[in-house]
Amino acid sequence: MTATATNAPTKPNRNTVRATQKRELLLLLGFLLVIWAVTTALSPRFLTPANLKDILIQAAPLGFVVIGQMIVIIVRGLDLSVASIMATVAVISTTTIDSTPVIFAVGLMLGAGIGAINGYLVAYRRVTPFLATLATMIVLQGIRFAYTKGAPGGTLPETFRWLATGDILGIPVALIALTVVAFAMHWVLERTIFGRRLKLYGDSPAAAYMTGAPTRLLVVMAFVISGVMAAIAGLFLVGYVGIVDNWTGRGYELDSIAAAVIGGAALSGGKGSVPGVLLAALILVSLFNIVVIIGLSIELQLVIKGTLIILAAAVYMKRSQN
Amino acid sequence: MRIFKKTALAAAIGLFANQAAADTYEGVPRTFLWNPGTSSIFDAAEYKKDGPYVIGFSNASISNPWRVAMLHGIEAAAERNADKLERFIITDANDDPSKQAADVQDLIAQGVDILLVSPATAEAMDPVIRRAKRQGIPVVLVDRSVPTQENFISFVTASDQALGRISAQWLAEKLNFEGKVVMLGGLAGASPAEARIVAAMEVFDQYPGIEVLETQYTSWSPANGKTIMSALIQKYGQDISGVWADSGLQGSGSIEAFLAAGYEDGAIPPHTGGDFNAMYQLSVQHNVPMVGVDYPPAMGARAFEVLFDVLDGKGIPQRIEVNQQVVVSEGHETASVQADVFVKDYALMDKPGSVIMSSGVGADYDPATFSATYPK
Repeated sequence: MTATATNAPTKPNRNTVRATQKRELLLLLGFLLVIWAVTTALSPRFLTPANLKDILIQAAPLGFVVIGQMIVIIVRGLDLSVASIMATVAVISTTTIDSTPVIFAVGLMLGAGIGAINGYLVAYRRVTPFLATLATMIVLQGIRFAYTKGAPGGTLPETFRWLATGDILGIPVALIALTVVAFAMHWVLERTIFGRRLKLYGDSPAAAYMTGAPTRLLVVMAFVISGVMAAIAGLFLVGYVGIVDNWTGRGYELDSIAAAVIGGAALSGGKGSVPGVLLAALILVSLFNIVVIIGLSIELQLVIKGTLIILAAAVYMKRSQN
Repeated sequence: MRIFKKTALAAAIGLFANQAAADTYEGVPRTFLWNPGTSSIFDAAEYKKDGPYVIGFSNASISNPWRVAMLHGIEAAAERNADKLERFIITDANDDPSKQAADVQDLIAQGVDILLVSPATAEAMDPVIRRAKRQGIPVVLVDRSVPTQENFISFVTASDQALGRISAQWLAEKLNFEGKVVMLGGLAGASPAEARIVAAMEVFDQYPGIEVLETQYTSWSPANGKTIMSALIQKYGQDISGVWADSGLQGSGSIEAFLAAGYEDGAIPPHTGGDFNAMYQLSVQHNVPMVGVDYPPAMGARAFEVLFDVLDGKGIPQRIEVNQQVVVSEGHETASVQADVFVKDYALMDKPGSVIMSSGVGADYDPATFSATYPK
């Protein structure tokens, strides 16, 4: 007792959640800098302001999606419907009125509504998240095709395009929006009772229930956040590409899960941080760009992505054993 | 058929008064007239049968606007031929070859007289088509073929080679045979994507002044077209003097990437790639010289007509190619590539960018309002 008391102040505890999280973040940041440095050594074309700006603009949609995906993963869920939500929101809200606020309002409401359905199925109907969101994904795909008859007719107002591709003082608007949302979500997750309850529920649903937390509502809220994030991402992505497509966001469901896992979210729940998953998203999007810049074929990025997931899983597994 | 064409034409002139729809090439496919080889004729006498018929169509999917347009073309053809139909059953495999194998069996079990199949993948469908033939059901293929020729009667398609060569030849001549070119392919491993690249390389390889900087696949996605071209612009900058894309699906994304990189209207290098209305619209709006050779979804409607030729016991060419328009920006025709129609007259400026051209449904075709009635 006296021995620990005298030792404690000299050596900070390296095993707190926060300390581990910090080390994981540094690891991710280190990895990002290493791949950037290697690419810079291989090609002078990589580390230019214009190219970095491209990467950041392209990373913004994945950034939004991965934040939502992570929150769902924290409550032991999985959201396979994010890409379908992105496309559905993009296709439906752009055919409403030619006004950016209306498009965003409709889009966010749609995203929240679909998220709520996912959450309801998981929390109240006890459908496994995999099945519930898989079903939503398929239903949305059907609705989208029925609604558009295959050829989406949406038009994109100028301000809408500007939000996704423009910049303020050289900083992409999409990046500013992502930063604001990311800080807000980080604060919610780390500093509010709601956020702590999400994590507690992920660690132990029984414990969360016994503290009096409305556990079912927590799960619904997590899916609603994921739906809203996917909606924002869909709008930014369609604004970036400039062409309304029934497959806007194709592949984002798996990319977002990959980024969440690489960024430190554990599929067993309870664990995940906004900066971590955002760094992971940036790593994934950088890889896509790097593969092209150093002249490899696009297909190779899939190999790298898969390897990264395995690597991340192995690293985190080792940590949890320690 | 001719009456239909005339009404479509009248509708076109009425709807788009400034659109010179009458100037498009209306003759038989030039790939047929100029084909140096010959296609053998299948004698369908053994399949001659009296109507009305039960016809089955096993579709790979409607996962992109092109496939939707082809389906609509087929449905419109079914409506025109409704009097000859007892039933017309359509299945959708959602791009899954094993689902499509089951679909084909289902259709045979429902007693179809003939099958129209648009295979999800060539290899996977080969044994399925063989089984259908063994059960005495004639099969006509559209858009994608299977390796074993003797198992089906005819393959209705458009010439990927003509598309690849015409677009590459135009680009080479447009650049005066000197310049660096980026190639944006479609879906890696998909036979049309590969065939078009091979045909384009056949052209580019003849000119030592044309250097292909890079070939990348885009999965025919506008989003991939934009992200990949953004990175390539960073990599090569002003060195890129032309972009060869086999379709406007990724070509439009490429033009968007040049715009995002700050290229002024008129300064964007020449592009190729048809099919997609957005491509033609962007070319007009931002003065991008282009050539577009559509890969027409109208082949679906043509294939549907072929089904009746088989059931009438006629002689059927084993390969049927449909007509393709050559669309060139005004003032940018080259020695080898003359326009059937100019981009400014061809682009549907008031319609959504996602409309697929050459659907064969008619000039006022709008996928959102399309409907057809036939016995189901």
